[in-house]
Amino acid sequence: MAICAVYTTQSLNPTCSISTPSKTHLGFHQKQVVFYTTGKKTSRRGSSSSPYVITCATGDSQTIVIGLAADSGCGKSTFMRRLTNVFGGAAEPPKGGNPDSNTLISDTTTVICLDDYHSLDRTGRKEKGVTALDPRANDFDLMYEQVKALKDGTAVDKPIYNHVTGLLDPPELIKPPKILVIEGLHPMYDARVRDLLDFSIYLDISNEVKFAWKIQRDMAERGHSLESIKASIEARKPDFDAYIDPQKQYADAVIEVLPTQLIPDDNEGKILRVKLIMKEGVKFFSPVYLFDEGSTISWIPCGRKLTCSYPGIKFSYGPDSYFGHEVSVLEMDGQFDRLDELIYVESHLSNLSTKFYGEVTQQMLKLSDFPGSNNGTGLFQTIVGLKIRDIFEQIIASKAKSPVAATKA
Amino acid sequence: MASRAAPGVIGSSRSPPFSFRSAASLPMISLPVRIHANGKTNKGLTVRAMAVAKFKGTQRREKHLTEMIERKVTEAKEVCEGDATSDECKVAWDEVEEVSQAKADLRLKLQQEKDPLESFCQDNPETDECRVYED
Repeated sequence: MAICAVYTTQSLNPTCSISTPSKTHLGFHQKQVVFYTTGKKTSRRGSSSSPYVITCATGDSQTIVIGLAADSGCGKSTFMRRLTNVFGGAAEPPKGGNPDSNTLISDTTTVICLDDYHSLDRTGRKEKGVTALDPRANDFDLMYEQVKALKDGTAVDKPIYNHVTGLLDPPELIKPPKILVIEGLHPMYDARVRDLLDFSIYLDISNEVKFAWKIQRDMAERGHSLESIKASIEARKPDFDAYIDPQKQYADAVIEVLPTQLIPDDNEGKILRVKLIMKEGVKFFSPVYLFDEGSTISWIPCGRKLTCSYPGIKFSYGPDSYFGHEVSVLEMDGQFDRLDELIYVESHLSNLSTKFYGEVTQQMLKLSDFPGSNNGTGLFQTIVGLKIRDIFEQIIASKAKSPVAATKA
Repeated sequence: MASRAAPGVIGSSRSPPFSFRSAASLPMISLPVRIHANGKTNKGLTVRAMAVAKFKGTQRREKHLTEMIERKVTEAKEVCEGDATSDECKVAWDEVEEVSQAKADLRLKLQQEKDPLESFCQDNPETDECRVYED
């Protein structure tokens, strides 16, 4: 006579999460046990009980935390979508929850919007006279507490800031993922939160490019005019320079977007010059280089082997100093027109952390309808995504001490 | 692109985002339609329609955000007339930025044109609305 022990969700370790897989294929992944409910229900075809997969984390959690400082709103940004694509799976807002949630969840990644940690809602900020950029409008204690809890493998009830109504909505449950990305205006502002980050990125858009992009975004709106867009940027600038910009110095990688130098007096913001500034000496992070590390090189790939259309492509690479740190800067000016330009460039870059030849090109092609897919923004965002995957794998490898114990059923 | 269709049939450039699997809650459809006369055989008019299904809630939300932007921009202009460097002015323009970004995100979501039934069926393929028979 067999004695069976049935485990309900409550009695399991809180780091376990139960998910119902949408596909019915049952591959055996690491650390996953598939439970079939034995009962009258499953004897009928097409019953509502689908197999449950229980995923348990090992004793020490392996959540890595990435910080992304960006001014362009949360979670829906192109960078986030590219990043989650590198890890596989599309990131979507949590199902069945608040439709105005800013969180994105995929199989391996969860992206949290730091606007959710606003301590003041829109009316509160109006009363106090502080913008959303001001640290006084954010609850850094809660941010630190919850990011730490997620890193240690505990689920948290995170508040939701509704950008449409401007109010703080009831909290949603966030379970610790393998990769946690915190995106927003102040990921590196608070020193405690900064220490929790395994890797940090700052997306630095120059004023001219910001202006051009905001025009593209807002000109179709009835209420907006060129003056109002300009006034909006100007009014936010002092707070931005005081509170957000200084975070640049703490970032491990900075993606700087500037207007092109290939076309004189270009102010449309279509051709971009993008710099990837990578800090040297960061654990598990090996900067991308062109030709040879530490040397300075300027490269125009267009010529005999490759024909490019106007204005062409220009690359440069070299060591530099950034806010007192040693950095390596890889820069791309211009636009890709064709697939073979991309492959040619990829084959000459080194230390890309790709798993196979052409992976960068493949990722760029997969998301070719995203903005920036034909210039340095898309290229460097994809490369940073691959670097983060590399860091994640190295951290896992360094933490792997004992093999995963088999679960008892 | 649909070429010559029989008169009275709407040929669409993409498959319509609404499906007839469940007739419950028919969405309000705004159909911008291009009608061109069929010159050669004069069998009637062929209609090419691009159906962008917008549910009432989405339309309401879009309208609400657009009105909010207009309102907030006028407010900000008023507040900043006095002193362009005051805190109130900064907060007013910050609100404009926040709402503009929300509107842009909504526009992006609309462009994706996700059929809500599709996303439901991805998670629940065995329900009556979603079962597919491959015989």
